[in-house]
Formats: sequence, C-alpha cells, structure tokens
Amino acid sequence: MTPKIMLVDDEERFRTTLSKLLRAQGLEVTALGSGREALEELHHQAYDVMVLDVRMPDMDGIATLTEIKKIAPQIEVIILTGHASLDAAVEIMRLGGYDYLLKPCPVEDLLAKIESAYERKTTREGK
Amino acid sequence: MAVFLRWEDSCKKMTSQSPFSVNRVYPYIPVVLILAAAAPLGLKCGALWALGALALAGVSLLTIRGLLRRPEPGPSQGWLLEEGLLQAQKLAAIGQLAAGAAHEINNPLAIIRQEAQWMQALLQMDHFHGLEEVKELQDSLREIIQQVDRTKEITHNLLDFARKRKPVIQAVAVNKLIEDMARLVEKEAQQKKIRIVQQLAPDLPRIYADGPQLRQVLLNILNNATYAIRKDGAVTVTTRLAGKDTLEIMVSDTGPGIAPEDLPRVFDPFFTTKPPGQGTGLGLSICHGIVEKLGGRLTVASQAGQGATFTISLPLKPEEGKS
Repeated sequence: MTPKIMLVDDEERFRTTLSKLLRAQGLEVTALGSGREALEELHHQAYDVMVLDVRMPDMDGIATLTEIKKIAPQIEVIILTGHASLDAAVEIMRLGGYDYLLKPCPVEDLLAKIESAYERKTTREGK
Repeated sequence: MAVFLRWEDSCKKMTSQSPFSVNRVYPYIPVVLILAAAAPLGLKCGALWALGALALAGVSLLTIRGLLRRPEPGPSQGWLLEEGLLQAQKLAAIGQLAAGAAHEINNPLAIIRQEAQWMQALLQMDHFHGLEEVKELQDSLREIIQQVDRTKEITHNLLDFARKRKPVIQAVAVNKLIEDMARLVEKEAQQKKIRIVQQLAPDLPRIYADGPQLRQVLLNILNNATYAIRKDGAVTVTTRLAGKDTLEIMVSDTGPGIAPEDLPRVFDPFFTTKPPGQGTGLGLSICHGIVEKLGGRLTVASQAGQGATFTISLPLKPEEGKS
C-alpha cells in the first residue's frame, strides 16, 4: 500500500517542489498551507504520515501538533524546523511527534524518516 | 544597533567629569551652611567664634572631599571595565540579530536546496541521457547543494550562538574534520592559486568536543585565511599534541598579517577590516566563544607582512576506562 502523506508548510514553493520530489518516490502526497487547513482535512481523510513546518503564521507547528494528536492520534508527525535545540526536540517528542528535521535538509533524510514513521504506524496497527 | 549606540553614548556621558558634576559641588554645601550660620554668631560673639567656625568649615570640606574621592581606575582597569560592559551589550544585540536573520534564511535555503534536488531528479530522465552538458549541469547542481549546506551550517551556528546552546560533546576525529573542511574551501582556494597544506600529526587521539561547532570554527578561520591572502599563497593547517592533555590546531596563512593595533580586537564582535558589506565582524567572535565553551582557547599571533597564525588549543579528555 502507498503511504498517504500530508505536507503542511506556509511556503508555497517549498511544498509544491517537495510534493513533486516525494511523489517521484511513489508516495501519495497532499500539500496544504496552514495548520487549520490540515486539521480540517483530517476530518475528511485519513493519513499515515504528516510533515509539518514549525514556523507558520496563525497556527504554528507545535500548536497544530497538539490539536492533531487530539483528533487523529494514529498519524505520525515529522516536524520540519529552521532550527531545533535539544529543548525543542524534547517538547516535540513529549507532544507525540515522531521525529524532527532541520531545514534545509536532503530529501533522502526526509524520505528515510517518512519510511520509518510509516513502518512504526503499520507495525503498531498490525498488533 | 540604534539601542546599542544610544547606550554607549549615555555611558560615556556618565563617566565623563563635567565641571558641574555632583561630586564637585557637594563638598561645598556644608561649608556654605556653616559659614552662613557662623557669620551672625561671629558678629555677636567675637573673632574666636568666627575662627572656630572657619576651622570647622575647612575640616568638613576636606573630609567630604576625601570621602567622595574614589581611586581612579588605572588605564588598563578602566578599559577592562568598559570593554566588559560593551562586550555584554554587544553580545545581547548580536543574539537577537543573529537569531532573527538565521531563522529567516533557513526557509529560502530549504527552497533553493529542494529546487536543485528536483532538477537533479529531472536530469536523470531518459531523454537527457548521454548529453554532454548534463554532466556539467549535474556538477553545478551538486555545487549549489554543497554551498547551501555550508550556509546552513553557518545559520545554525549563529542560532546556537544566539541561544547559547550547550555544546553536544562527542568523540571527534580532528584530522578527519580538518580534511573535510579543507575540501570545502579548496575549490575556491584553487581559483585564487592558494594551496591548502595539511600537516596533520598521525595517530591523534579523538577528542571530546562538539563536532559541528568545531567544523564551524575551522571553516571560519580557513575562510579568513584565504581571504587575507587574496591570491597566490598557502594556508597551512597543522595538528599536534601539546603536552599531555592538549591538542593544537594551527592555521597559518601567507597573507599580509594583522596590524599590531588590530590584533587585540580581532575577537571583538563587529570588528572587521573587510570593506562594508563584505564582513559582519562576527565570525571570529563566535569562534572564540565556541572554543571557550569547549574548554579550549583560541589565540592569534601575527607580524605585519608575515601572515597570521590562529591556534585552537583543545583539551584532550581521556576516554573512559583510561586514566
């Protein structure tokens, strides 16, 4: 089965090109521009892995992550951030995030994280 | 910046001695009061009383002046005090500046890197196969990605500096780290006919330090060295053990050297000899901070006309199980 990925970033060019790169690897990608759109979309559709930017106007990644875990706790969330200190990483994990990545990062790194996040989700659901 | 300049200005005003400063006027106030009280008393009770009052006024004047006089700071002491305050203020200003700028830069960097990766992916399609130019395009794209990663390291280090992150200590192979960084600057150096000479001591023990931060320090010093030479010359990187518990990395260049009056200021934030727009004056200041945090020292030696040598001395923490 193809993993369903939701990509949330307020930079339009970033999310369109990243979508193309991920689709080229055979992933099914939906790209959205804000935390609110993401939450709305989750009411209609189930996803496996979400790639979420931290710095977004209106509702930032951390706030979005908190909300997502309330309505769709099964989704694995990878946080993309401009910079993360150890404290921020601890906070992301505490809120139920799967992992985080520093921007800019090689697509291969993101793919590897998506794969392992998807693996964790399927193993957990298989049990 | 504006805030900092205003602060510096008010500091100068406070330390300057105006002829009307409180310290100068204050001792005379009790004297005037005593004299004012003694004058009618002298008229009434005779010259002896007046003399007594004058003597009292004189003594109080001398005592108050003596009490108010503080030892003047010596030239070096005063300079140190002022420099310490300036340094603290400058660091705070840089913190805000760096965090804001670095964070914003990472987003466009992410886009540039991704676009380059997408072009790389497109160039692998069949109809581009065998075209001579494709190889060159791929090479250029690799270079773009490499430079983005280099910039990323700089922005992340700026953020680390701003947040005063505690270093993440791990085993670091210093020679390997130097080889990596030398490779990074080599291409640009070659264009300027600058050789990067590595004189690395074999069998150096791994040291316990923050690898990415150390890479940043080295990259900065190497870039400074090639910048100083401008064209034709050599940058020599030497590693060696200095005594039992210190590892030294020395970066020497064949550039024009640093003027003696600039030498004490090279690690100051915002100090730069580069033309406006070409340097922030933050690089060496950040390096200095990183090396200190790692428990080491960053020093510089230079003679005008004979290049400069930056020495990073780092402690060799013994591995567990060894004494």
